[in-house]
Parts: sequence; C-alpha cells; structure tokens
Amino acid sequence: MAYLTQPDYVKYICSCGQLKPITSLYFCRHCLKIRCGFCICHEVDSHYCANCLENMPSSEARLKKNRCSSCFDCPSCFHTLSTRATMAQPRQVVQDPAAGGDTKVESKQPKKMYYLSCFNCRWTSRDVGIPDQPVASGGWPERTNPHAARVNQLLDYYKAIALQEKQEKIERERKKFNIRGKYITLTDKTGLTGAMARNIAGLPSSESSSSAIASFVPSQATEEVEELPEDIFTKEVNLNQITSMPQRLASPEWQPSSVSRLHPLAKLLSVKRSQRCRACDHNLTKPEYNPGSIKFKIELLAYYHVPEVKIISHEPVKPGGKSALLLKLTNPTGHEMQLRLLQPEDIPPPEEKEEPKSIEKSLERSLNLEKDTTSLKPIEVTCEQPATSRVSAPDVTLTLAQRDDAAEYDDDAQHDTNDIIMWRKSNKLALRLEVVTDEGAEGGAPAVAKVALQYSYRNTVPPAAAAATPRDHTLYTTVLLDLGTVSSN
Amino acid sequence: MELQDTYYNKSEYVETASGNKVSRQTVLCGSQNIVLHGKVIVQSDAIIRGDLANVKTGRFCIISKGSVIRPPFKKFSKGVAFFPLQMGDHVFVGENTVVNAAVVGSYVYIGKNVVIGRRCVLKDCCMIEDNSVLPAETVVPSFARYSGSPARLITTLPEAMPDLMTEFTKSYYQHFLPTTVQ
Repeated sequence: MAYLTQPDYVKYICSCGQLKPITSLYFCRHCLKIRCGFCICHEVDSHYCANCLENMPSSEARLKKNRCSSCFDCPSCFHTLSTRATMAQPRQVVQDPAAGGDTKVESKQPKKMYYLSCFNCRWTSRDVGIPDQPVASGGWPERTNPHAARVNQLLDYYKAIALQEKQEKIERERKKFNIRGKYITLTDKTGLTGAMARNIAGLPSSESSSSAIASFVPSQATEEVEELPEDIFTKEVNLNQITSMPQRLASPEWQPSSVSRLHPLAKLLSVKRSQRCRACDHNLTKPEYNPGSIKFKIELLAYYHVPEVKIISHEPVKPGGKSALLLKLTNPTGHEMQLRLLQPEDIPPPEEKEEPKSIEKSLERSLNLEKDTTSLKPIEVTCEQPATSRVSAPDVTLTLAQRDDAAEYDDDAQHDTNDIIMWRKSNKLALRLEVVTDEGAEGGAPAVAKVALQYSYRNTVPPAAAAATPRDHTLYTTVLLDLGTVSSN
Repeated sequence: MELQDTYYNKSEYVETASGNKVSRQTVLCGSQNIVLHGKVIVQSDAIIRGDLANVKTGRFCIISKGSVIRPPFKKFSKGVAFFPLQMGDHVFVGENTVVNAAVVGSYVYIGKNVVIGRRCVLKDCCMIEDNSVLPAETVVPSFARYSGSPARLITTLPEAMPDLMTEFTKSYYQHFLPTTVQ
C-alpha cells in the first residue's frame, strides 16, 4: 500500500522476520522495534454498524449476536437493504347496504407504510410476504431459531457441568489444605447436616445445578430418516426458485432451500481495533471511539518513525552486471536524522541489555515469583530471503532534515553537486546508487536487492523519573527492493 | 515506482489563482454552482453537472479523464429533487468513473471505470477499486476497501491512509506539468 495501487516494491523486515511494506508495520517506541500484524496483539475496541455508523457496547453486541438491530442485508445479493415508503390506503370497512342503508365513506388519510428493498437486485421484503411496517426503522418481525429450546437446554447443561467441575475443584483444594483437627465432625463425615445447614442459611441446595444435568436428554441418532418425495427425480427443477449455497449459509439457523423463504439478514457489526505490543504491553494504535472518526489517540506506525525508502527508477538488472538505481529517502520524524546505507551482514548483532535493577525486581527474584522469562523470550528470526543483487553502499553519512509541513511552499529542489545525492527537498533526498548482480543469477528470476539502513532515532517518550535512558538511539533495519526480473542478457 | 511526470498542453488548461487546473475540453454545466477549493485538477472530457445542484470539492482533488460528477436525485411522491454533492480534500477519481454520491469524504480513492450509485455516502479514508459498481444508497465506512459488482468490503486499509492519500494527490499535482515550449 505504500504506492497505493501499485505492488509493494520495497519491503521491510519486521523484527519477527516477516516481510512487509512500511504501511502495514508498526513501530514500538518503548522497545524501539518494528512490529507487524503477526507479532502484536489485536484487541477489539468497539463494535459499530458499518451502515448506520452507530456504536454498540460490547455486552449488547454479544447479546444481539454481533448484529445491528436496525440495518439489514439483502438475503439474495448481500447488499444493504434500504427502507422505502409507500402510501397505503387503509382498509375500508365494507358496510352492508342492507343493514343500515347509509354507507359511511371513511375519509382516512392514506398511511405511510415502509418496506425493505434492495437497490442492487430489486429484492423486496414483499417478495416473501413480510407485511409492511408503519414505522421507518425497526419493528421487523424477528424470527426465532427453530432449535432455540434445544440450544438453550444444551447451554444450561454445559453451564451446569462447568459449575459442578469448578465446585469439585474448590472442594478438593479445600480438603487438601484443610488442617484436620483432632476430631472429625459429623458434618464433615455425612454431609447430611451440611445440606440442612445450607437450607437454614437460605443457600441454594447443591442439587439445583445437578437438576439441569439430571433432566438432560442426550441426542439420539435414529435409523428412521424422512423418505425422499416420490417425484424427487422426475420433477423438473426450477433453478430460479432454489437458493445458492452462500444464500443458505448466510442464515445457518434456517438454511432456506427455496427463494420464497429468504428473510432479511440483520447486518453484521464491524469493529474498531487497537493494537498492542506483545513484548512491552504498550498500545501501538488506539482509534477514537466515534465510528465516523479517522483519528487515532495513539498511532505508532512505522510510517511515522522509520525512514521510508522508495524506488524512483532503476535500470534493468543483468547477471554479473551493474545497473543504476535511484532511491528516494524520507525522514518522517520531527527530528533531524543521520542515515547510512550498509550491507545487511554489517548490522551489529543486538546487544543483550542488562535488566534494570530495582528493589522490586530483586525482591521478586528472591521470592521466585518472577515469570520464567527464558521460556517466554521471543525467538529472533532473521529473514533468509535470498538477494540476487547487492547495493553498493556509499561510505557517507546522510543527514535528513526533519519533517516540516510548511516546507512544501519553499523553492524547488536543491541540486547537490555531490555525485551520490541527486537532489534534496526538505525532509526528502534522492540517491543515485549502483546495483551489482550476482554472476549466477538466472534470467527471468525475480531480482531482489537487499540493503540495510542505519538511522538515528530521537525517542520522544517522556523518560521515567530517575531513569537515565539515552534519548538518541542508533537503529537498524533491512529493506528488500524488488527490481523486477533478471533480464537474460 | 515513484510517480512520473504527466505533461499537458498549456493552451488546453486554465489555471486559476487558487491553483486549480481545469481542462478546456470539459463539460462544466452550471459553473456558478461548482466550487473547486484550490489545487484541483479537472482533466479533459470530464463532466461536472453543476446545473442540477451544487458541487463542492475540497483541496487537491483529481478528476480524471472522462469521469462524470453528477449530483444525486431522490424521487418523492411529488416529483424529483436533486441534492448537492460534497467532496472532501485529497480525493482521487479515476478515468471513466461516474460519481453520483451524496457525500465523498476526504482521502478517498476511487478507481477507474467505477460507478458510484445515487446518494451513496463515502466516509473519510476509503477506497473503491477499479471496475466496481456501488449500488445506490450504500454507506462505505472509513478504512474500508470495496471491490466488485455489487461492491463489497474486501479488506481494510492501513492506518496511515490519510498521509498516503495526501502524499499521492500532492505529488500528482506536482508532477502534473505543462509541456515546455521548445
């Protein structure tokens, strides 16, 4: 997505080893590491309906089975249904002329009635005989699951079993740690008086949960199956009357087989997600609560913290040959950035950081309460993507100015006399580089160049009290550049 | 790849003081009802129907070749009424696309050969892929990517979509240059 509609030419290596474009990466400024969708926690922030854009609390959403109560999808094409109004003449009472003689013409106003209609496939709620509603939204008949009773029974049964098992476990624990006195009391031994004591105290008897278990009838398989109708093989099939598989599966409770039994589907809710770093439990993104808002309270994206590399153009890659490559580097941060291009193998291995010693930590350790961190340590994966070409990295440190939104009104790009830097413009610069391709690269194979970036990063997290953590860091990242295919000479 | 320069014939385009670049080969009906908020590009053979109702666009909008911007109508029991069409900032409308929406938010990308049905509402930060058809009165939520006919949600968009669209439309405007006279 870094190029919006074009394929992702430049991919970054996430700290978990995944290859991702910069737009789908996050940057945890507490761990100072790049994270991707696979190595972070996704949390549901809020539920909302994509059509009416109304929030629904998560407890209510669970109760309503994650469906909106006022919006419906077409059961035929799954597009959102719209409410249409018609003028309906209220039914006039036909008076018997023989009885009274004077037929009173009722001058009732035509009433507005509403029905659901799909603007894509022209399905309407009248097709299946749902009566029109007098109110614009809501009030549509809710269908009950034909197996609701059995499902509830099963739910009760499993709840009772869970409760029973929990109680048994508590009982066992209690017995294990119960320091027995010298005398075994009668209540402990028989349990009869225990039940009486419960009765007196007004507690539910322990049998109530078992009643659900006792009265439960397990399902039984029967030999007798409904006979197929006589004309099943002879009757001509009208495919227009039979629902398709997706249509049936959209309403699993009923699974209508004929078109005349399709009912509107309550629209499924969408969610707003927030992301959390798994290593330090800090939020990476947190959207605003309002479903219509596109703002974020927290937005730690790699796009705002890691220098962005874009390919301007490149010469075709030939085996054993050199080709020119123009790269554009952007500094998205609000601080000046020192940048160097390296070979991927020149990245120093990450130093093992010493744990900050604090009284709490040492206390925990002495009490042996600390979690066994060795088993939870994330496995450092390095991407073993083979690269066909090497970027000959110049031995210079480039300085990228900070992002300045007012700078776009400045003059044109400065053209440096430097033979590496083509031009410079506020926080961007274009580099002229050379790509050397392996002799053994096969023609037609994808040409991939690998290059490492060393960049300075100013941490803007307000430092914790008395913690002398450095604010400036030197970070490394590796990018893979897609240079098309290796041309066969 | 980085966006390449697109050249246009200087005599074909009119550039206003606010930076709008409008081709002379367009049909702008009811131009008094059309408001382009600056740095908007309207390319050749585009049609904007300001005679039906007001059309307002934000800054840095790109209306590509052969696209139609037409305010939506609604049928009432007593005839038909047209509604104004509002477009936010940094909106891209692809080639040969018909937009009948009521509201198009900011940072919206509409591909080419797309039909946006009557009175659709496109929220901020959404994307309609090429060759899609959005039926009438559809609401497209934020950070959704719609595709197909009828268009359906296929995936979500990255959180940085506002900045991606801003950069895209700005660089499109910067790379939209008059041909240098030899």
